[in-house]
Amino acid sequence: MKKTINIPLGSQHISLLEPVRFKFECENEKIVGVDSDVGFVHRGIEKACTTKFKYDGIGYVVARVCGLCAITHSLSYTVAIEELLNIEVTSKAKYLRILLLELDRIHSHMLCLSHTCENAGFEAMFMRIMGDRELIMEIQELLTGNRIQFDYINIGGVNRDINLEVATKIVNNLDRVKEKVMGYVDEFTNNWSLSLKFKRIGALSLDDAYKFNAIGPLARASGLNIDVRNEIKYLPYHEIGFKMQTHIDGDINARNIVRLNEILNSIEMCDNILAGIPEGEIQTKYKGKPNGESVVRFEAPRGELMYYVKANGTAMLERVRIKTPTFASIPAFSHIFMGENYADAPAILASFDPCLSCTAK
Amino acid sequence: MFNFKKYRKKSPWILHYNAGSCNGCDIEILAALSPKYDLERFGVINTGNPKQSDIFLVTGPVTFRSRERLVELYTQMPEPKVVIALGSCTCTGGVFRDMYNVEDGIDRYIPVDVYIPGCAASPELIIDGIVKALDILEQKTKKMEKPLKLFQDASTKDGIINKRDCALKVGEKDEEN
Repeated sequence: MKKTINIPLGSQHISLLEPVRFKFECENEKIVGVDSDVGFVHRGIEKACTTKFKYDGIGYVVARVCGLCAITHSLSYTVAIEELLNIEVTSKAKYLRILLLELDRIHSHMLCLSHTCENAGFEAMFMRIMGDRELIMEIQELLTGNRIQFDYINIGGVNRDINLEVATKIVNNLDRVKEKVMGYVDEFTNNWSLSLKFKRIGALSLDDAYKFNAIGPLARASGLNIDVRNEIKYLPYHEIGFKMQTHIDGDINARNIVRLNEILNSIEMCDNILAGIPEGEIQTKYKGKPNGESVVRFEAPRGELMYYVKANGTAMLERVRIKTPTFASIPAFSHIFMGENYADAPAILASFDPCLSCTAK
Repeated sequence: MFNFKKYRKKSPWILHYNAGSCNGCDIEILAALSPKYDLERFGVINTGNPKQSDIFLVTGPVTFRSRERLVELYTQMPEPKVVIALGSCTCTGGVFRDMYNVEDGIDRYIPVDVYIPGCAASPELIIDGIVKALDILEQKTKKMEKPLKLFQDASTKDGIINKRDCALKVGEKDEEN
């Protein structure tokens, strides 16, 4: 007789923001096998980029791949095109781009932390973090004009200039967020009932992280030293005080702590940017059509994002390939579920911060 | 006796389904439920069970694989129910219109009561839409409670619903058009 039972999670489930289906093979409470299906939200954006839209509009289309890391998508594409057209972006535009990139990272990490708490059954913490997240959304709206889909970056620069009023508002709000985040650090490290749900659950060892090619906060929580921000040269990350955040435990708690530390580091970077933002234009004029190939990597809130663009000298591109962070981490996800309790599955899943609309495109 | 129908408007439960959206509208729903906008003051709660919910919030243009699940969730919900299309791409297809795996909006598959445009729709708009949906929910409840045999007009003869007459009337209208 068969000893295991199959429990499906998804495609529609209260703990999921997006449709994904996991089929857990359970032996009593323990998960012994995982099967995942991620293709529910496939829309065909890569194909549409080469048939429907011209090259100067694609930056706004690829932002719709994912609402959470929209800015990273449009920035990666834009930098790829700028390399092909040999555009030199002004340093003010570069700093404004980093500013929005880091603000986006803060709000994405806060959403992930609150969602992890909710799935672990701590509704009050979910409400608290979501309430404080509005401070970030407010300054994003002031800076770009929209809360989620910014459409801030265009080829050659950015669409809106920053003024003194907005800058002071950003600094004030970031100060308030910093205080709140210090409170969360205390809560996540010292709260006993949260530690029951998070500590030593869903652990990934350093060897496994290396073997399964984990990236982003998932890998950094296991002690793997990878962050694209440390390696790229398109944006001056080394000037504004970027620090690598790692942890050694590899469990859900470690991922939360890494995210909290990254939020603190991002706040520090934003403050540094606003303290010394250079004068100048925000837009560079450009001419011509892109020709050739280029590859660009960026650090999205979930890990490395890679864009490959191939152009042939006309307004329509030949190929746009998007490699997203969640797609690269799926083998590691499946490995972590093995041997865990089924009751912990939603919390573990939320702690990965999966983005399925990125994965399926 | 406690009258459940009377209080349905005071505690509508929401079922949320992502039919291929970019997550933008989904996180705005979460933001609308959070303390700043506080949708829960209308008695709204986000539930994962279609059999207990009154309002169906759909985001995203319907992708090829999610359409069956969309229709299935709709049919599992009990009457009366209200469907809200949230976001530009849910209403018409938006930027995703005419992509090969996209079905251009949910109203090709299920009837929609409230359309909320915007990319991404802001929490204020979501609250407006849901308050509007509550009125529609109340109207639908009243319509359901109306005794059919007493007040049905045009299609009834001697208080009995005549289905053949109904069908004939519809046929005549078609010919006129």
